[in-house]
Amino acid sequence: MTEFVQYVVVGLANGGVYATLALALVLIHRATGIVNFAQGEMGMFATFIAWSLINHHGLPYWVAFFVTLLIAFLGGAGIHQAVIRPLERGSALTVVMATIALLIVLNGLAGWIWAPDAKFMQSPFPLKVLHVGGVVMNVQDLGVIGVSLLCVAVVFLFFRFTRLGLQMRAAAVGPATSRLLGIRVPLMLSLGWGLAAMLSAVSGMMAAPFVQLDPNFMLLILTYSFAAAVLGGIDSPVGSVVGAFLIGVGISVLSGYARDFLGGELQLPVALAVLLGVLVLRPAGLFGRVVVRRV
Amino acid sequence: MRRALFALGVVAVAAAILLPGAFGGSSADPGVTARSVTIGGTFPFSGPASSYAPIPVGMKAYFSYVNATKTNGKRGVNGRQIVFKAVDDGYNPAQTVQKTKQLVEQDKVFALVGGLGTEPTESVVAYANQQKVPQIYVSTGATEWGAKHDQQPWTIGWQPDYQSEAAIYGRYIRANLPNAKIGVIYQNDSYGKDYIAGLEGGLGAKKSQIALTQGFEVTDTSVTNQVLALRRAGVDTVMIFGTPTPTIRTYATMAAIGWKPQNIFLNSVSATDTFMGIAVARAGAAEVNGSISTYYTKDPANSRWDNDAGMKLYKSIMAKYAPSNAKVTDSLYVYGMAKAYTFVQALKAAGANPTRDSLMKAVLNMNDKSNPFLLPGVVTRTGPNDFFPISQQQLIRFNNGTWAPFGALTDTRPAGSR
Amino acid sequence: MPRTTTQIALRIAAVVGVALFLYFLPQARTDLLNYDFAFVGIYFIAIVGLNVVSGYSGQISIGHGAFMCFGAYTTAVLSVNYGVGKYWTLPVAGLLTGAFGLLFGLPALRLTGVYLALATFGLAISIPLVAKRFEGLTGGGQGRQLSLLSSPIGGVSTNEWISYFVWAVAGVMFLGAWLLLRSSFGRALRAVRDAPIAAVSSGLNLARYKTLAFGIAAAYAGVAGGLLAIATSFINPDAFPISLSILLLTGAVIGGLGALEGMLFGAFFVQFGPKWAESISKHIHYNEATVQSTVLYGLLLLAVLFLMPEGAAGLLHRARFVLKESRRWLYSRNDSRATA
Repeated sequence: MTEFVQYVVVGLANGGVYATLALALVLIHRATGIVNFAQGEMGMFATFIAWSLINHHGLPYWVAFFVTLLIAFLGGAGIHQAVIRPLERGSALTVVMATIALLIVLNGLAGWIWAPDAKFMQSPFPLKVLHVGGVVMNVQDLGVIGVSLLCVAVVFLFFRFTRLGLQMRAAAVGPATSRLLGIRVPLMLSLGWGLAAMLSAVSGMMAAPFVQLDPNFMLLILTYSFAAAVLGGIDSPVGSVVGAFLIGVGISVLSGYARDFLGGELQLPVALAVLLGVLVLRPAGLFGRVVVRRV
Repeated sequence: MRRALFALGVVAVAAAILLPGAFGGSSADPGVTARSVTIGGTFPFSGPASSYAPIPVGMKAYFSYVNATKTNGKRGVNGRQIVFKAVDDGYNPAQTVQKTKQLVEQDKVFALVGGLGTEPTESVVAYANQQKVPQIYVSTGATEWGAKHDQQPWTIGWQPDYQSEAAIYGRYIRANLPNAKIGVIYQNDSYGKDYIAGLEGGLGAKKSQIALTQGFEVTDTSVTNQVLALRRAGVDTVMIFGTPTPTIRTYATMAAIGWKPQNIFLNSVSATDTFMGIAVARAGAAEVNGSISTYYTKDPANSRWDNDAGMKLYKSIMAKYAPSNAKVTDSLYVYGMAKAYTFVQALKAAGANPTRDSLMKAVLNMNDKSNPFLLPGVVTRTGPNDFFPISQQQLIRFNNGTWAPFGALTDTRPAGSR
Repeated sequence: MPRTTTQIALRIAAVVGVALFLYFLPQARTDLLNYDFAFVGIYFIAIVGLNVVSGYSGQISIGHGAFMCFGAYTTAVLSVNYGVGKYWTLPVAGLLTGAFGLLFGLPALRLTGVYLALATFGLAISIPLVAKRFEGLTGGGQGRQLSLLSSPIGGVSTNEWISYFVWAVAGVMFLGAWLLLRSSFGRALRAVRDAPIAAVSSGLNLARYKTLAFGIAAAYAGVAGGLLAIATSFINPDAFPISLSILLLTGAVIGGLGALEGMLFGAFFVQFGPKWAESISKHIHYNEATVQSTVLYGLLLLAVLFLMPEGAAGLLHRARFVLKESRRWLYSRNDSRATA
C-alpha cells in the first residue's frame, strides 16, 4: 500500500507540470478553436529566458520567475497579433500549421541563441525529504504540485470573478455577440494567448529542474499535456487539470507495477492505448459535452 | 479523360526530369587538392541528441586553429587547409544516410570523420565500406568499431569502448569490494546494455553479485520507481549507466528518498566537474561525494589543469575560433578537439600526398603520445591486432567539488596487442 | 468544371515550371539529385494517401509517419529475416499496413477533430516504440540493415535506378488514387467530409467510408515506408520521429488538401524545404551548423502559409481564375467593339 501511495505522489508532481500546460492548451482551444502545437515550445523558450536571467543576469529566482511570466505574456499576445490573427480567416488547419511552424521556429531559435552545451535550471525549492507514514516525499515535488495548483486556482478565480475574465470568456464563446456588446474581441483573444503563454512558462520552469535544459525538453510534456487536455475534454478547464493528474498518476503506477512485464518501451503505447479506449467510450473526453453538429 | 492525361503528364514530367546526370570517374582520391582537404561528418545539431552538438564545434575550432597556424612555413597540414563539413542528421538514420551520400557523392569528401551516435553511424557503415571511404574516429563507444574490423575495414572508433570501461569497474569491485551487493540503473538501449555486459565481464565469476538491474527509457522523466526498487532489493553499491541528465536525476532521487548507498559508480560521460556540480546542487554533497568513475580527457572545469599547457591551448583556441556563446567548461568541446588532434596527426602521417589508402594505413598504425587534450600518459595507438585507438583510462573519485585520480592508468587493450 | 485543352496545358506547364525551378534552384544538377528525387517520390506517395484521409474524408491525421514506420518494418523484416526480395515486399507492405490502418480506423472513426488528432499523434509515438520492444523481429533500437542499393541495369547509376523505380511506383499509385477519387467512392468521401449528416440521411454508411479512407491512406504510407527502407537500406525506430508525421501533414497542407496535383509541390517542400533553408543559412552564418536553418525553415513554412493559405493547388486555382477573368474581360471588350 505504501508503495502504491509512493507511486501516486511521484505521479502527482508530474501531473502538476502537465496540468498547467494542459490548461494553456484548453484556453487556446476555447479562444481560437485549435490545438496550439507551439504551446510547449513557448514554455521551453520562456524557461530559457528565465535560465538566462538567473545565470547570466544574476536575478534571484523568484524575480526572474515573474519577469519571465511578464515576457511570456507579451510574447504570447504578440504571437497572436502577428501570426494567428491574420490567418484566422483561413481554415483551422492553416492556423494549426502556423502553430507547427512556430514550434519549429522557437525550437530552432532557442538552439541558436543558447549554445548547445548542457544547461540545468535550478529549482526554487530546497532538497528536503519528508517521511509521512512510510511514504517518502520531497519538498521539490510538493512545491511543483503547489505552484501548479496555485496557478490553476488563480486562473479560475480570474475568469470567474473579474470583469476582464468575464469579457475574455464572452469573446471566446460568442465573438459576434461580444462585439455587439462592445467587447474588443481581438484584444481579449490576445490576452487569452498571453495568459496561456504564462501558464506554459510556469509548466516549463517547473519541469526543467527534473531534466536537462535543451530545446526539446517540452516535447514529451506537450504530448502528455495534450493527452490530458483531450482526456478531460478539450474545452473543459476542470477536465484538463483532472486529466493531467490522472495521466501523471496513471503513468507512474503503470511504470511501477508493469515495468518488468511490459518493458520500458511499451509504457507510453499502453498509456495511449488506454486513453484511446477511454475516448472511444467517451468521444468528447471525461468532462466534455458532445455537441450536436449541424448539417 | 483529360484529367488522366494530366496525371500522365505529371508522371511524364517527373520521369523526364530524372534524365541521367553526370557521374565522372576520378583519378586522384576525392577531397584532396593542393590547397585543401575536405572532410565531413554527420552530427545531431537538432533533435533528441542535440546536446552532443559541442563535439563538432570543438573539432571545427581545432581545424580552424591548424589552418591558421604555420608549421614549417606552411599553414594547415602540408599546406592544405582542412575543410570540415559538419552536417545535421537530427540523430535520424534516414537523414544520416542521405547526408552521408551528400558528403561522399556531392561534396566529395576525402574521409568521414567523427560521425556521431551508434545507430546513425551504423546506418552508413555498409555504404562507407562499399565506397571505400574512410569512416574514422566515429563518436560512439560501441565495442563493434574495434571488434568487427575484418568486416568493416574502413571504419574505426576513437574513444575507449563502453564495455572496457564497465569492465574496469567490475575488476575494481572484485578486488576492493568483495562483498558488495550491486544494483544497476541503466539506459535501456544498446549503450546501457554494453555497460552491463562489460560489468559482468569484469566481475567474472562474481557476476552473481549483481542483485538487480533497472532500466529506464531515454524519454523517461523520472527514475523514482527504479531507485525505490534498488533500495528495496537492499543493494549497497549502485552503478549508474546513463547520460548526464538521468545520472543527475538518479542522484537527486536517491537524496530525495533519503538513501545513500555505500558505493556509487557512474560512467565517464557523466563524470565531469560541471555535471557533478549540478548533482551536488540537486542532491547535496553528502550524496555525491565518494562516487567513482573514469576519464581519459582533461576536464576543462577541473582546476587541476589550470596551469596545464594543453588546457591553456584548448582555452585559447576556444576563445579565438569557437562561437562566442560556447561554454568553455563543457568537456564535449575538449572531446571534439582531442579527436580533431588525432585526425590531424593521422593526416600528417598519411604523407605529402594523402590518399584514402594511405590515410587508413596511418590510422591503423598509430602510436601518438602527444595529444595535449588527453590525460598525461594516454597513448593513441593502433596496430595489426588492435583497432581501439584509445584504451587507457584513469579511475577517479569525486570529493569536495572535484574529481581526483587514484591508482594507475588502466589499459583495456585486448591481450596480445599491448 | 469545364476544362479546355489550353487549361490542361497550362496546368502541366505550371507543374513543369515549378518542377524545373525546384530542380535547378538548390544546387547544380548532379547524380545525387536523383536520390533526392527518389525521396520526393516517397513523400509524394505518402502525401497522396494522407490527402485521401485528410483532404477527402476530412479527418486530420497527424500521425501518418506511424504507417510509414509499419510499412518500412514490413519490408525490412520480410527481406532481412525471411530473405524475400526487397522489391517484392512492397505489395505486402501496402496490404499489411492497409489492414493495420483499417483496424486502427475502426475505433478511431468514433473520434473527430482534435480527439482524432490525438489518437493519430499517439500512434505516431507508439509504433516506433513497439518496434523497439520486439527486438527479435525488428532488431530493436539497433534496427535492420537491408542489402545496399545497386542498379540492376547497366549504364544506369544506383541513384537513377532508385529514382526511376520510386517514380514508377508513384505513378501507378497516383493513377490509382486519381481513379479512386473520381469514382463513386470519391464522391461519397467528399459527401462525408462536407455534409456528414446529409450523407447519412441519404443512406451512406459514414463509418464504412471513413474507415476505408483510413485503410487506403495507411496502405499508401505503407508502400512509401517500404520504399524508404529500400532507399536508405537501414531503418531503426529513430528514423520515424514525430517530426516525420508533421512534415507529411505540412506537405499535404502546403500542397492544398483535397487536390491531388498540389501534392507534388508538397512532396518537394518536404524534401527540399530543409535543404533550401540550410543553403541559405550557410551564407548567413559561420558554419554548417543548422540550428539557424531550422529557424529559416519554420519562417519559410509560415511565409508559405501566409502567401498561399489554400496551398499550392489553391494558388493554381486562383491563377486560373485570374486568367479566365482577364480573358473574359478581353473577350467582352472585343464583343462590345463588335457590336458598336
